[in-house]
Amino acid sequence: MSPSGILLLWIVSLVALGLFAFRVRYLLGLLRLGRGENRLGGVGRRLAAVAWEVLGQRRLLREPAGVLHFGIFWGFVVYASAFIFSLFKGLLPFLPYPMPEEIGPVALALEVFGVVVLAGIGGAAFRRYLLRPPRLEQSRDAGVILLLIGSLMVTSLLSSGFHVVATGHASFLWNPVGTGLASLMVGGGLAPSAASSLQLTMWWLHMVLVLGFLAYLPYSKHLHLLASSFSVFLTDLSPRGRLRTADADGGGPDPLNARNFTWRELLNPFACAECGRCDRVCPAQTSGAALSPQKMVHHIKEHLLEAGPYLLRGTPRNGHYPELVGGVVSADELWACTTCYACMERCPVMNEHIPLIVRMRRYLVTRGEVDARLQDALTATSRYGNSFGQSPKTRARWTQGLEVPVKDVRREQAQYLWFVGDYASFDPAAREATRAAARVLHRAGVSFGILYDGEQTSGNDIRRVGEEGLFEMLAEKNIATMQKCRFDEIITTDPHAYNTLKNEYPEFGGTWPVVHYTELFDRLIDAERLRPARRLGLRATYHDPCYLGRYNGIYEAPRRVLRALGADLVEMPRNRLNAYCCGAGGGRIWMEEAAGVKERPAERRVREAAVLNGVGTLVVTCPKEITMFRDAVKTTGHEEGLMIKDLAELVEEATTPEVSGHA
Amino acid sequence: MNIAVLLSMVPDLVEELEIAPSGVALDTQWLRYLLSESDDHALEQALLLKERYGGKVTALALDRGEAEEALYTALARGADEAVKLTGIPEEGWGKRAAAAVVGAVLKESAPDLILTGVQAIDDMDGHMAGALAGILGLPFVGVTRSVDAPGAGKVLVQKEYPGGMAAEIEVDLPAVIGVLSAPQPPRYVPVARIREARKTRTISEREAPSVAAPEGLVIRRLFKPEPAERAEMLDGTPEEMARQIVTILENRGLVR
Repeated sequence: MSPSGILLLWIVSLVALGLFAFRVRYLLGLLRLGRGENRLGGVGRRLAAVAWEVLGQRRLLREPAGVLHFGIFWGFVVYASAFIFSLFKGLLPFLPYPMPEEIGPVALALEVFGVVVLAGIGGAAFRRYLLRPPRLEQSRDAGVILLLIGSLMVTSLLSSGFHVVATGHASFLWNPVGTGLASLMVGGGLAPSAASSLQLTMWWLHMVLVLGFLAYLPYSKHLHLLASSFSVFLTDLSPRGRLRTADADGGGPDPLNARNFTWRELLNPFACAECGRCDRVCPAQTSGAALSPQKMVHHIKEHLLEAGPYLLRGTPRNGHYPELVGGVVSADELWACTTCYACMERCPVMNEHIPLIVRMRRYLVTRGEVDARLQDALTATSRYGNSFGQSPKTRARWTQGLEVPVKDVRREQAQYLWFVGDYASFDPAAREATRAAARVLHRAGVSFGILYDGEQTSGNDIRRVGEEGLFEMLAEKNIATMQKCRFDEIITTDPHAYNTLKNEYPEFGGTWPVVHYTELFDRLIDAERLRPARRLGLRATYHDPCYLGRYNGIYEAPRRVLRALGADLVEMPRNRLNAYCCGAGGGRIWMEEAAGVKERPAERRVREAAVLNGVGTLVVTCPKEITMFRDAVKTTGHEEGLMIKDLAELVEEATTPEVSGHA
Repeated sequence: MNIAVLLSMVPDLVEELEIAPSGVALDTQWLRYLLSESDDHALEQALLLKERYGGKVTALALDRGEAEEALYTALARGADEAVKLTGIPEEGWGKRAAAAVVGAVLKESAPDLILTGVQAIDDMDGHMAGALAGILGLPFVGVTRSVDAPGAGKVLVQKEYPGGMAAEIEVDLPAVIGVLSAPQPPRYVPVARIREARKTRTISEREAPSVAAPEGLVIRRLFKPEPAERAEMLDGTPEEMARQIVTILENRGLVR
């Protein structure tokens, strides 16, 4: 390369790197607005996450289109590595190594991945512009990037063709594409001298495009290329079901802004690739409510870019900093979330949507901005310890007239302390399942007792609506009560209670082992303490509760129980970690119907179950689901065809010896 | 503007009410008390006025049941001061006696505006607010849905009348207003804020002054509603039932 060429390359490189560094430095400054948060422990697990999610693209591959990204990603890795060598060789020609494409295996890798990436880009464009999957934006940004990557591959492959023509070194082994293109070029009458200058042109074009890409990247959604590896590495390693305590996030009524978030929370929007996976699995978004997890994360970015300059300078705009909630984020979208974890389970860059939502909900609660029904539930809970507004004395009314004794664990020792929970105690439909569970436990000879009027609601969903103070009060009271009792383990039928007892109570001093009744039933059947006396000849499907499945990974115990009862289990298309939420979680069950909902999540779910061939029973293992789905079968007209049964009711039925009706 | 809000604790109806052995009062042994709903609105109304025009809000409660809880909640919601009147006899007072006691206290502090709920579940006919105004010799308006203070020395209230009518009334201060509802529902106050109020704020206690209260009413008997006569069920074939109906109507002289 001529000295003037080298000089030009230096200038272009420095400009591009300068633009890149300038932007990245600014973005880092924005992140530093956030509060501290330690995300550095457990490096091994973090590296493993990077290996799976970044190198292995595990979550991307859950959608078929992920294959395209996989190809593009690895092509990018190969090309980026080659580019660095190429750039340095161009800038510093004295470096003692050849250009990467002059090394046979490297050349082959570049050509193969060039084709793979082109195919990937073609497929991605086809998907984005012709298939148009829902919630994938047709943004200009996306178009620019597809064109840019495509051009990079084309220039690279053409360059290889020109090189072969110019030098006459054809090699089907190391340059299959270049050699193929070269024969076409020669056929078209290209002279070696012309090819040589064209190759140089292509090299330049390639360099300028890559450097342009570098400069453009941190200004676009392709910032995710930079940020996502970090967001995966800096993932939250604590249990999924544990929310962070409300440390210093406001507490006062001052408007929320970027400074109230942690730096990791502010990193979310930088890592977001706007792929729409969260939206496609979100029960709020897919039922028509105001929440789009994708847009919500994007709103944080908008806020950061809007308020950032003022916050960095420390000078308010017109007397105050731009607000987040009530500014770019609406209360409606925050309240629509069911905290089902589907978005976080799906997000390829491991963004953390729910902590963001809860933090903003906490702010709304601090300001008293809650809807009337939620306010009633919160007021009732703080006064009576249950959201039903019932006298605490009636909590154990479900035990009245029960055929089996239920110990008061405050007075008598028991192996299991049964934490019953609000819905299982007070909801009339759920109460029947609770009674069935009690009879089954008794039948298996399990020693158990309840807290009677000493129990308060566990607070799982209280915490998730953002009433942190009330949650802490409930946790402290429950823990104080349980500490006075003698028992080995806690059992509950309520996945929400299960989640907070298991994952959150330890932080408040309640460190007992917790077991869900499906796990215990599974063990009891295994130990032959529960013996199915007859096979249930029913074809059933099973709904995974969010707080049992996605949050706590219990997928198989309830299924094993069902199979042991002789049920013919048919899976819904969305099962296990892809299960679709019933819509009750995160305090939604207490609130007004979310604005804009066309079809409730529970109704969508019931329809999903109802079309399964020959399935007449939807089995649930969460007290809230009984009422959610029984309502939904009525409103969707499936009352005749689909029965909603709690697993305990089926276990009881199957373990009851057949009694002849003609005695 | 100095606003006093009188908060009354009333029996919580989620618990079963029992009659005391005396037969003229509720059995208070297991009773829980909560803030009367329209007093909650009166407090909200006072806080709205304070937010809009400034001033000071003092919440006042007779020490009964969870009065302390209600007062701390009032402080957490934005009240400046909370006063608990102690020394209330076990069996409580009638509404007029209570009004006399509160009246004696308010006469001293002489607030510009006194707000309280217009009625309570143990004061359905709304004695309290009116009696208080009478004792203090102040103007009184009841059943209001909003109170505004656009000018000095007076308030503008909206009062509801039956039949969907409403009136806007100007009232000279000082005055007593019996609030039915605030323009917006009482705000939610997070538990953390109440807990903080418990740690950082104090409720001033005051011995209830002894006043000779004219008690015009004496409860002779307190009782649970006695079920009315049960409906008579007819059975038989449609023809038989039709005949029975005719007989009943004839016996009562409704057909001839």
